[in-house]
Amino acid sequence: MSHVDADPLGLIAEEHVDALAAGATLLGSGGGGNVDLAEQLVRHGVRRRPVVVRRAADLPPDAHVVHVGVAGAPDVLAERLIDPRDMAIAARAVADQTGGRLDAVGIIEIGGLNALAGVVAAGELGLPVVDGDLMGRAFPSINKTTMALAGGSAAPLSVVGPAGDTVVVTTSSAAAAERLLSSTAGAFGGAAALALYPTTAAELTRTGIAGSLSACVALGAAFHASPARQVADLAEHLGGSMLFEGRVDEIRPRDGVLPGSITVSDRTTGSAARVDLLEEFLAVTVDGITRACTPDVVVGIDPTSGGVLGTTQIRPGQLLSLISLPALHPWPASADDVVGPRAFGLDLELEEVRR
Amino acid sequence: MNSAPKVADLLHDPVLEGTRIVAGAAGLERRVTDVHWYDGAFTGVADNLVVCDEAQANPPYRLEATVRRAQEAGAAALLVVAATARPLLSTVRLADRLEIPVLWLESGAPGQIVLELATLVRAPEQVRARTVERLLRQLSSKRTGQDILTTAQTVLSAKVSLMTSDGTCILGDPVVLDPRLHLDQAVPQHGEHLLVHPVLDPQVNRLAAWLACPFERAADARLDVLAVGLAMTEPFIRSWLSGQRAQADRDSVFRAQLVSEIVAGRDSVSRDVVEGAVSLGWRLPGWHVGIHVLSDATGPVDRERIVDQLTAALAGHGIELVASASRGNGWAMWITTDDEPAPEDARKLVRAVRLVTAALPREWGLTAGIGRPHRGPNGLAESLGEARDAADLARSHDFRPAVEHSDELGVARLLATWQRSDVTRAFAETALAPLRDPAHSHLLNTLHAYLESGGSAVLTAQALGVHRNTVTTRVQQIRDRLGVDLDDPSQRLALQVACRALGV
Repeated sequence: MSHVDADPLGLIAEEHVDALAAGATLLGSGGGGNVDLAEQLVRHGVRRRPVVVRRAADLPPDAHVVHVGVAGAPDVLAERLIDPRDMAIAARAVADQTGGRLDAVGIIEIGGLNALAGVVAAGELGLPVVDGDLMGRAFPSINKTTMALAGGSAAPLSVVGPAGDTVVVTTSSAAAAERLLSSTAGAFGGAAALALYPTTAAELTRTGIAGSLSACVALGAAFHASPARQVADLAEHLGGSMLFEGRVDEIRPRDGVLPGSITVSDRTTGSAARVDLLEEFLAVTVDGITRACTPDVVVGIDPTSGGVLGTTQIRPGQLLSLISLPALHPWPASADDVVGPRAFGLDLELEEVRR
Repeated sequence: MNSAPKVADLLHDPVLEGTRIVAGAAGLERRVTDVHWYDGAFTGVADNLVVCDEAQANPPYRLEATVRRAQEAGAAALLVVAATARPLLSTVRLADRLEIPVLWLESGAPGQIVLELATLVRAPEQVRARTVERLLRQLSSKRTGQDILTTAQTVLSAKVSLMTSDGTCILGDPVVLDPRLHLDQAVPQHGEHLLVHPVLDPQVNRLAAWLACPFERAADARLDVLAVGLAMTEPFIRSWLSGQRAQADRDSVFRAQLVSEIVAGRDSVSRDVVEGAVSLGWRLPGWHVGIHVLSDATGPVDRERIVDQLTAALAGHGIELVASASRGNGWAMWITTDDEPAPEDARKLVRAVRLVTAALPREWGLTAGIGRPHRGPNGLAESLGEARDAADLARSHDFRPAVEHSDELGVARLLATWQRSDVTRAFAETALAPLRDPAHSHLLNTLHAYLESGGSAVLTAQALGVHRNTVTTRVQQIRDRLGVDLDDPSQRLALQVACRALGV
């Protein structure tokens, strides 16, 4: 069971959009895709009609939920508007595979673009959005979910391209689903609408991460409310911890599936931190001791502007503050191979990680 | 057993050739007591050099934890073998901060390296024994100096040069001399960056050259190996030198050529010349006194015999000629000493040469000139030049044998001005008038020789080829005829100048 302690939202209205976007960016752990375009879409949608937010437990147990979002290359997603109707088509295509009922929309990952995409899809379909998600942050794979860990399948899933082309996968193994998704999104020009993990509210109550949407909005609100923009204060304000602050001295790009590394040096104390990263920040190791690692959320902040920096925005010579936020979901030890550092090819000494 | 080597010492050992210091240079002075192959555990590695392979460095982030754990376990240094990966900057910073050296060897067999390093650290005497054996085996088949040096360089994995005492390189690369080394003392020495071993002259057991082995830094054990290596190489070089000399002796033209090159080249003598000189046992950097010997015998003379007899006779007076070489119409010979000769040595030398030449057969018509002591190849040229001038002057005397020393030439020049003056001439005419008639010319000659030889009846007798008693009798007759006191220095001086002025 999982839960997040934040006052549950009843609905998402225009006043929540800024906080939602900020929270999603923070939970993206440096990845998850740029939220700017999706933020415009949500604002546009909720201005007409706010989206109702329901906890899975508050829905009828047999209510059918399909998780909706977008898939593709972050660069493409940052520039090409996903048509909310494509997400609606994708959701219905999956619902058609499971008896035709569709009662609510689920959020795949609460970190980054997909947190907002779920809300947009719910608004488009006129359905409530489930207050929760399957990752508790952003992950680069559709298999790193609580449902997958509980034995659930992503299929039936559907991918809808910008021209309305629809691919439905009725049955698939987890590994094949991942490959099908990326190649299909590639065929659709690098980005596509996505619907998957059809389930019931009862199942979602058991395996989903409840309340993460409310938590995300609360986190974003706290970020905006943090007055001084002192990063250490901010970390405290967000319930996280300050990891390191220094100047980016070296950026070693990733080598295929092997994570890349950033060296951040504190000139005054002489200590140095290593940040391992792929799409997201994966781990922060200060002076040889790993201080935070996935599934913890690592946030990079530009201390001069106070803005959140994604993994692709880090430049040599830049000042960088690193804070960690507690994972929204207490992943069991058995999940280490799925969401822990080893899942990303990082062989860290984990006894050190947990401090 | 020597004290444990430092990390930096090991780095300069041939085993770790090509190793880079990636980080943690501050810890290079740590001592290494053992070598440990990293097998995933850091137990009991305190003060060890921990060796790991690429698995620990690729992907690069892995190394960071290894560095920290190695430092926590007290390891002296970490050596990463066979890694093409580059360490992360954060790892470099960490190692710098923890002051644990991280050494990087891109290619190599880790197992072999661990084995060799372990032997080096645990049992340096084994390494020494192995080196000695390899050196002996390989040197035994080498003949030329260059081959010997090359072999020593390969086996010792160090540069080895053959040089003279003043640092002129004979074979191998030029060497930067350490001023603290006492190259005048023929004992093995080592300075801060240079190890030297004397090569002794095969025949006279005196310093001929130096074997020099520069090193950047080294553990005591490594220095030991190098020192032993040089000591082993020395006899081979020595035997090569003596072989060279035997060859060179057969060819006196070679020597004459060498002398003329030294004289012509002065201080900028070429390497070939220096090499040739050393092979002949000539110690160019020392102090030289040149002797030039001329013979104006009318009949054919056996030059070799004259030189041999001169050499042997001078040796009887404790004077050792280094060499002789034909030069111009005579022979250039010289004496070399390590220290500057004292003034009385010069007088002794003149006296010895006078005695020796006087003892040799008169028909050889020997005249000799002696130069002043000078230092170095330039000095040798200088002294030989002076000797030649002095010999030419000596030749102008009409008695044989005649010996002149360059020191006295200045006086001779002074005297020459007097001799040419009219006043002197007039005095000579009157003072020597009683001896001027042809019947008494033998008395005049005797007086001249007697004065020139410093009032020695013996030398005068030898110079004139008459018995000593004859000289005594004649001197008495001279005293009677001239009515002068030959024991009075002023009178003697006046008469000597008068003799010279008349050109007796």
